[in-house]
Amino acid sequence: MNKFNISNINLGRAFIYFILFLFAFIYLAPLYVMFSTSLKDIEEIRSGNLMALPLDPTLYAWKKAWATACTGSECKGLAPYFWNSVRIVFPAVIISTILGAFNGYALAKWKFKGSEFLFGALLFGCFIPFQVILLPMAKLLGSLGLANTVTGLVLVHVIYGIAFTTLFFRNYYVGIPTELVKAAKLDGASFLKIFRHIFIPLSTPIFVVTIIWQFTQIWNDFLFGVVYSGSGTQPITVALNNLVNTSVGGKEYNVDMAAAIIAALPTLIVYVIAGKYFVRGLTAGAVKG
Amino acid sequence: MGSISLNGINKSFGATEVLKDINLDIKDGEFLILIGPSGCGKSTLMNLIAGLEDLTGGEIVIDGKDVSDESPKDRDIAMVFQSYALYPTMNVARNICFGLEMSKMPKDEQEKILQKVSKLLQIDHLLDRKPGQLSGGQRQRVAMGRALARSPKVFLFDEPLSNLDAKLRVEMRTEIKKLHQRIGTTIVYVTHDQIEAMTLADRIAVLKDGELQQVGTPYEIYNDPVSHFVADFMGSPGMNFIECVVKDENLVVQSGGETYELAIPCKDAIKNSKLDVVMLGIRPEMLTEIEPSADKKNSYLHQIKFDVEVIEPMGADTVAIGQWNETEVMARLSPEAGNTAGKGFDLQVDTSKAILFDPNSGLRIR
Repeated sequence: MNKFNISNINLGRAFIYFILFLFAFIYLAPLYVMFSTSLKDIEEIRSGNLMALPLDPTLYAWKKAWATACTGSECKGLAPYFWNSVRIVFPAVIISTILGAFNGYALAKWKFKGSEFLFGALLFGCFIPFQVILLPMAKLLGSLGLANTVTGLVLVHVIYGIAFTTLFFRNYYVGIPTELVKAAKLDGASFLKIFRHIFIPLSTPIFVVTIIWQFTQIWNDFLFGVVYSGSGTQPITVALNNLVNTSVGGKEYNVDMAAAIIAALPTLIVYVIAGKYFVRGLTAGAVKG
Repeated sequence: MGSISLNGINKSFGATEVLKDINLDIKDGEFLILIGPSGCGKSTLMNLIAGLEDLTGGEIVIDGKDVSDESPKDRDIAMVFQSYALYPTMNVARNICFGLEMSKMPKDEQEKILQKVSKLLQIDHLLDRKPGQLSGGQRQRVAMGRALARSPKVFLFDEPLSNLDAKLRVEMRTEIKKLHQRIGTTIVYVTHDQIEAMTLADRIAVLKDGELQQVGTPYEIYNDPVSHFVADFMGSPGMNFIECVVKDENLVVQSGGETYELAIPCKDAIKNSKLDVVMLGIRPEMLTEIEPSADKKNSYLHQIKFDVEVIEPMGADTVAIGQWNETEVMARLSPEAGNTAGKGFDLQVDTSKAILFDPNSGLRIR
């Protein structure tokens, strides 16, 4: 009887693991194909099996994607566009996160007449599709003299991001007891000092969540990038698109794959480094004193 | 040093009036308790004194100075919160010194005060810990330490003991009283626990629905309440209230199958009120077993039969519950009498401290 039970449990376990591995395989297979293809030369891709390991791994495709592949008429690889993206993403993430933290703090703990309405209005920003604001924003950037500039793209991403970052911080700060603010007020701390000495030190998880979110959103953005950038300020997503669509002679799948991985790598790295905070931060409550 | 005058305080949240015309003078060094059921506005009143909320009307004067429009930090007030509200990312030492740090006090002076306060509250071994690593009682002490460090004119305590377990609560209660006796600073203390109120207060202010019902010493509040509400709120077990028919300035009480006429001290009051039915208020400790030594000629001592429905031993004494005029009545017996009380026995009723209320308005008849 006992033995029967045990083998029954083992069978169940085995089934669960089988399912898990199956889904993991399905999910990871494209990544594997991308990676192995990027290490093959074009002959092997034409003749070989899609799933086969590279017979003679080479970094040729990676080098070409990074430095010499043609994206439209230019043939400098992805490198300049990678740095464009970095120059857009870092300021945009930092500014939108800081503004979101301030907004969230004020909206959660310093309620004023109409603050709930203001928050609702800000929240509305989360639901506005990118496409809706394309034309008015183009007009605005034009009249600000920021069309086709990195600064212009940073501005667009900051404005679009504030809705989300404010939402994150506001909801996180609502969970922090208001008594802390009262106690600090009685201790003589000002609006900014309470924020700096009490709220910022409590905010690590939500900062991580917001930074990951914003980084991913802005790095992966294509639409704003393609609309508001000039030829010298395109982000990597736009360059990747151009690279794949530009064929000189035959299609170089290995270069396309390498380029795609390069474009995706930074967000992957951010997730790997900070992923556990992401999960922890979203489940919140972890910092109750 | 730390007197407070509340003059005609009003507070509304939108259309809801939370506090209505509160007038109260708190003397320097006084321990004043604000008590009332939840939602009566006592915490709001405290927040108003602290300056954490704005007045709708009236003025608050601290030490002869109108502070109604001043920000909390300029009022020189420290507060201990129900949730303690310790800063979770700072250690105990920094929690205590945060207010001093904000006032830009030099480090060495902060250190001196920290040492003094932490010794006084016996938390000097905890200074490096974070609030999360402390027990409830320790957090409570740190919260008090933070308030003490600033040596303010007035301390506000907002239900500081309600998160502690019963035993610790009694201990901390005594400590707060000792602390007050030592430092002598004015304390305003909010609670809904009538035992805390009785034991700690110099004076008690009873609030109901945003109105002050009565302000007085614990003795006055307990023995001379102005209304049914105040009488009912104070005391455990609570006062007995029995509606009685008036007959020849005596009150008719049915108990144990017999009818009695009880003489009471406030005869004129009955006459003046012209009521046929009044509500008798009598504390359970006035209903006891027969004491052989009792003065037989005392006209306020009565012996009446009592049918016991429930016996509740409480250790020091035993509560016997029965009925008068079909209303539940509690008597307070010695444990020995309680053991032998059985179903029915003779009760000694002392009406010398009995009080009367108008059964309709709930107000005292005097």
